Amino acid sequence: MTSSNLPTNKIGNWLEERLKLSALTQIAQKKEVPLHKHSIWYYMGGIAMLFLAVQFVTGILLMVYYVPDLESAHASILKINSQIQFGWFIRSLHSWGANLMIAVVFLHLFSSYFMKAYRKPREITWLIGMLLLVITMAFGFSGYLLPWDDISFFATKIGLDIASKTPLIGPTLAELLRGGENIGQSTISRFFVIHVAILPLVLLGLLAGHLVLVQMHGMSKPPGIDTPEKPCPKEKFFPNFFLRDLLVWILSFNVLAVLVTLAPWGIGPEADPFAPAPLGIKPEWYFLSMFQFLKLMPASVGPIEGELVGIFLIAAVAGALVMVPFWDDGKSEGRSALATMYGLAVLIGFIAFTIWGAIS
Amino acid sequence: MNYPIWVVPIFGGGWIIGIIAIVHVFLSHFAVGGGAFLALTEELAYRRKDENLYAYLRQHSRFFMLLTSVAGAVTGVGIWWAISLVNPDGTAVLIQNFTLGWAVEYVFFVAELATVFAYYYTWDKLTKEQHLNLARMYFGFSVMTLVVINGILTFMLTPGHWLESRYWLEGFFNATYWPSLVLRLLIMFALAGMYAMVTSSQIKDQKTREYVVRFCAKWLLPIFFIGPVAGYFYLANVPQAAIETVFNGVHASGVGNFSVLARALYLSLILSGTVIVFAYIGPYLNPRGLTVRISILFLICGLTVTGITEWMRELLRKPYVVYGYMYCNGIRKESVDKLNEGGFLAQSKWSTITALPHGQNDIELGRNIFRYQCMSCHTENGYRGMKKLLGERDRDAIEGFLKTIKSRNKENNPYLGIMPPLVGNDDDLQKLASYLCTINGHSETSPAVSSKTRASSQF
Repeated sequence: MTSSNLPTNKIGNWLEERLKLSALTQIAQKKEVPLHKHSIWYYMGGIAMLFLAVQFVTGILLMVYYVPDLESAHASILKINSQIQFGWFIRSLHSWGANLMIAVVFLHLFSSYFMKAYRKPREITWLIGMLLLVITMAFGFSGYLLPWDDISFFATKIGLDIASKTPLIGPTLAELLRGGENIGQSTISRFFVIHVAILPLVLLGLLAGHLVLVQMHGMSKPPGIDTPEKPCPKEKFFPNFFLRDLLVWILSFNVLAVLVTLAPWGIGPEADPFAPAPLGIKPEWYFLSMFQFLKLMPASVGPIEGELVGIFLIAAVAGALVMVPFWDDGKSEGRSALATMYGLAVLIGFIAFTIWGAIS
Repeated sequence: MNYPIWVVPIFGGGWIIGIIAIVHVFLSHFAVGGGAFLALTEELAYRRKDENLYAYLRQHSRFFMLLTSVAGAVTGVGIWWAISLVNPDGTAVLIQNFTLGWAVEYVFFVAELATVFAYYYTWDKLTKEQHLNLARMYFGFSVMTLVVINGILTFMLTPGHWLESRYWLEGFFNATYWPSLVLRLLIMFALAGMYAMVTSSQIKDQKTREYVVRFCAKWLLPIFFIGPVAGYFYLANVPQAAIETVFNGVHASGVGNFSVLARALYLSLILSGTVIVFAYIGPYLNPRGLTVRISILFLICGLTVTGITEWMRELLRKPYVVYGYMYCNGIRKESVDKLNEGGFLAQSKWSTITALPHGQNDIELGRNIFRYQCMSCHTENGYRGMKKLLGERDRDAIEGFLKTIKSRNKENNPYLGIMPPLVGNDDDLQKLASYLCTINGHSETSPAVSSKTRASSQF
């Protein structure tokens, strides 16, 4: 039997004639990954995708048993945790996976920022990336309420109260999300639909755009790495980088497995909307820096409410970060250094306020 | 109960033993598996007349020698130091029963040390054949240390006919001896391969690097194919009550597949599976792409699997230190009736010695009982701390709880599978309750005197 007559080759040929798979292989082989001392940060996007895949699979499995009903939500999570075979495992994969994914998305954001990956022609890739960050955090916010335990209830209540302070759209947005004046059945229903249908659709669309643009423009190199005197070595994305990417995925999954098995995700007592909020209610860690910053604001700054000033300041800081491709386009050394300093200040501020919020 | 013990606050003595032991396990497994690696790789270099491979071995053996001999010996002594202070009764059983075994193990260990030094310092002084023979001798001696220690370790979980005959060789060649020996050898080969990946990923000559990295990946194949078979035979010979403990746990630590032992088992399986996949798609398929950083992370995964599996094996033995013979707090199973009847404090040699000169009160005597019966696993206010476990229990509830854990009937005592029964007479229980009340702050509301003292004060 000649090699072209092998059954596997026949199937391959059949598929090739209909799907033109070789075109995909060519694209993958065309892509190259620069090799330099900061190459490790190229793994972050892939790791975030791995954790996203974990979220989709475990989220679908959780939907089998979760009941988005005021009376049953908490009980259904309890059932998943204690009665469904490996329910605790799937739920912990989902909860820990979400946290790890958000952490990796932050690492991806800041590493791309410091490597100046937002500059021409990647401005739109950067903007879509920022939108993806917002969507990821919205996933966290909407999913946090669904177990309907006291911490998640009051953290969501506080979060929505803060959101309602936003001028113009705030009150309407908060009421739209709550489905009324108070958090209740309508809120669970809305958060559930947002979490399992709207956000995934938006995320998949944006992610497709992000990936197409990455493919189109190739991997960005930090400034000064690739010069005519000292060109930066490269390796093919497929199979070389891809095989190493798989190794990093395995290692990342192992980190998740260690957390899931040794520190499975628990659940607090069922939420009681009429009970006083427990002491020291805090949002999830990725909202903690903003929460802590707002807590520090005085009651009023002149005639304006303090919290509102805080929201404006946070929006201004985030806005400058989002718009960085347009004020640091690489043509001015001074602005490039300013962007790096600004990024460092935001990063240090984010970490410091998060730690402050956690220990206070 | 018959010797003084070392009280380790917050962490508990178990962790001291555990941390030293796990480091020693890593090093000793490196030593044996690495011995095989040195011998086989040198054989390859000899046959291929590959000077690059010789150069790599030379470099690899330097750190290997330092790590396994110095750190291995230090942690080995460290285990003796820790177990004899934390669990002297259990240590006494192992020494008294296996005196000859330990002596033989010591001889092989000294031979192993002498050979590894000779191996490293004679690279340019011996012929290639003689040096290869040294590598083979080193491997032989290191395997023999495993052959001996494996008998003693498996004895602790499956003492078998030794329980009746008390003949040491019957305890030594027990039901899990052979599966455990095979499993340990396979783990050692796998760890040696992973460790060698770290060193070989730094070889400068690309062709040699790719060859050695791929060669290292093959060291994980034996555990992939033979491991599950040996694992099956091992588990089939472990007391079934111990297996049940894995999945059932006790009510206090979760039920079903949520028990901590079950979770550790799943982690061990997940990590083992991913290690095999990693070895295939990483060093085997893409040897050029294996960087030092990735190989170190891979080694950490391998060490984590080994650590978790060893921890599980230790917990399988609970509530015993020698299964069916001696509980983990050093009390012999056969002595329980006698101790219940005549009292624990009255019959434990060391507590009677320490009790007499001071004329302690009930709380101090209760603390003594706590130290000897509970502190092998619990602390006052740290790891598995009693303060948290007792919660808001008042004296009556504490006494009721102590009666529950004194019962040797599984229906009445759900902790029996994982905790030794509490031992002592009613007076001991009263004293222990007095002491426990001071831990969770119920001392004021509790009677600070024992039943005996109360009875005598009525006259």
